[in-house]
Amino acid sequence: MTFEIGVGTAVRTVAVTRNGSLLNVTLDGRTVIVDARRVGDLALSLLITPEGGTVPVQSVDAALAVQRTAGDFDVHVAGRTIPVQVRLAGGFGHQKKAGVAQGTGPQRITAPMPGKIVRVLVKPGDEVKARQGLVVVEAMKMENELRAVRDGRVRDVVVTEGQSVDAGALLLVVE
Amino acid sequence: MKKILIANRGEIAVRVIRACRDMGIATVAIYSECDRAALHVRMADEAWPVGPSAPRESYLRIDAIIDAAKKSGADAVHPGYGFLAENGDFAAACRDAGLVFIGPSPEAIALMGSKTAARQAAIKAGVPVVPGTEEPLSEQTSDADVLKVAEQIGYPLMLKAVAGGGGKGMRMVASPAELPASLRAARSEAQSAFGDGAVYLERRILAPRHIEVQLLGDHHGTVLPFVERECSIQRRHQKVVEESPSLAVTPALRRQMTSAAAAVARTVGYTNAGTIEFLLDTDGSFYFLEMNTRLQVEHPVTEMVTGVDLVQWQIRIARGERLTLDPESLLTPTAHAIECRIYAEDPENGFLPSPGRIQGLRVPQGPGVRDDSGAYEGGEVPIFYDPMISKLVTWGETRDHAIARMKRALAEYQVRGIRTTIPFFQWILDDDDFKAARFDTTFIDRKWGAPGSGPLPASEPAYEDLAVIAAAVHMFTRAATAAPAVSEPVSIWKQAGRAEALR
Repeated sequence: MTFEIGVGTAVRTVAVTRNGSLLNVTLDGRTVIVDARRVGDLALSLLITPEGGTVPVQSVDAALAVQRTAGDFDVHVAGRTIPVQVRLAGGFGHQKKAGVAQGTGPQRITAPMPGKIVRVLVKPGDEVKARQGLVVVEAMKMENELRAVRDGRVRDVVVTEGQSVDAGALLLVVE
Repeated sequence: MKKILIANRGEIAVRVIRACRDMGIATVAIYSECDRAALHVRMADEAWPVGPSAPRESYLRIDAIIDAAKKSGADAVHPGYGFLAENGDFAAACRDAGLVFIGPSPEAIALMGSKTAARQAAIKAGVPVVPGTEEPLSEQTSDADVLKVAEQIGYPLMLKAVAGGGGKGMRMVASPAELPASLRAARSEAQSAFGDGAVYLERRILAPRHIEVQLLGDHHGTVLPFVERECSIQRRHQKVVEESPSLAVTPALRRQMTSAAAAVARTVGYTNAGTIEFLLDTDGSFYFLEMNTRLQVEHPVTEMVTGVDLVQWQIRIARGERLTLDPESLLTPTAHAIECRIYAEDPENGFLPSPGRIQGLRVPQGPGVRDDSGAYEGGEVPIFYDPMISKLVTWGETRDHAIARMKRALAEYQVRGIRTTIPFFQWILDDDDFKAARFDTTFIDRKWGAPGSGPLPASEPAYEDLAVIAAAVHMFTRAATAAPAVSEPVSIWKQAGRAEALR
């Protein structure tokens, strides 16, 4: 079974095949032998053989947390938390490259998390400078000022002061 | 005292419940709607609802809390920290209702709660204060008038809430141009956090260390100071790492600072637990900053190096007992303790709060480790409250030993499903200046994200390889057990995805 796994800014190709009671895991063309035991619903004890070895000995305790998108996980390993996106081979397609270009087009200012609109600092038609404060959102007892990425003119203000918003909700548009 | 109501939530409510249980005292929890299944509710003997999730409608509702105390038959109230802990009206309402408030008198809270009045008390006790405004600047004071006052003090300066605490309503102002925006933000934050938008100005000491002295005062005139805590590692004026003792404090300086702290407390007739905060300048001079009239978040580091249970002593003092602790031993730390405040925030994403369900939790254990937490596996971190979920404290024979244990404990700590500041602490603990205790309160601002400061430990390639292998093995074995039809990978994928979505 072959997966494409996004980690950091890279997409890695990983093939997993059975090898008796063990697994062969081929990562970017290099194969390691893995003795895997499930120690919890989302937790694994792995013994891994470095390349050229025969008996898996390197002990790696790994646990996963599922994210909103199926196949996206936070992997907890060796005291680190590493986000990965697992897709079947070919599953990424052009999706990975569809990241938002910061340079052009209208800026859609969205709520980074659920919260309350404390203040709206601009109105439609206002000229704004890069890094100018647009709206103040209160969440978890802290006020966060959301700012313009670059110069522009406020096109729409979708929210009003005192309003509660969900994560990802559109607040205003600057063009 | 037979039954204590804890007017708080989260880890501090759990901490107080534990002290009560150690003493054979029954406990009453209060909870908001979203906290019905919170750990403090589960651990208490009784639990009473006090309102909807928003703090203003529950944990800040004096009437509802007093009502719960009466109905439950509690004879005392412990306020924890935050919420109503430094609200003189709440302490007075407890007294009026015949409940013992486990803390200082309403008068002491009101006096020291006004940062400007507290400065005057320090001056009266002969303790130096940071130069600044003696009178509060109310919300009606115009920008022009504030600018005039600021001109006399000089830039850079600190803008602080008169009713402040916990870094809320506080701004550093580098120039007159920044003042109006900072003033607006500080007033608004102060108004929403404390119900009082008044602010004052203080000269900014350029590279101070934050040193504070824990105190206990009984009702028989005894005030005892403890060995200092150092809390210079701060982000957005909030402490994130604390330790005791401070490497910057010599035994002679310790005598001076602890005596000064006790003098301020005696001047105002202070009782119960409190903390005097100082700024320590590079030349060894120190200035009174403020007094916190409550138990501090970071009290465990003091407990670890002195062996004293501060919460138990709060209760003993409140029921009229005399302080029988040996004053010398309180000033003589046993080795070293350090604390990291674990927040539900994503350090890789601008410390964005990260509420949600904790899918898995592995808490560090072993020698010298203490975890004061309000979290549990399957529990929720709600969006309504402070995002701190745990305080991890380690003790070691030396500072290096305590740091090594902290690194070990952080590596053991798994909080799955939400992002936490654990990687941020791993980054701090690996910093050469931190390891040498060469720092001041600007440490994080100067170093975090600065060129050459190094990335978070998560992004090392060797660990990415392991994470990728683990994820692939998980998906492979999960797919193999989820569906017999190995020949159709897409449907297996869907089933595996569904299995994940269902948990």
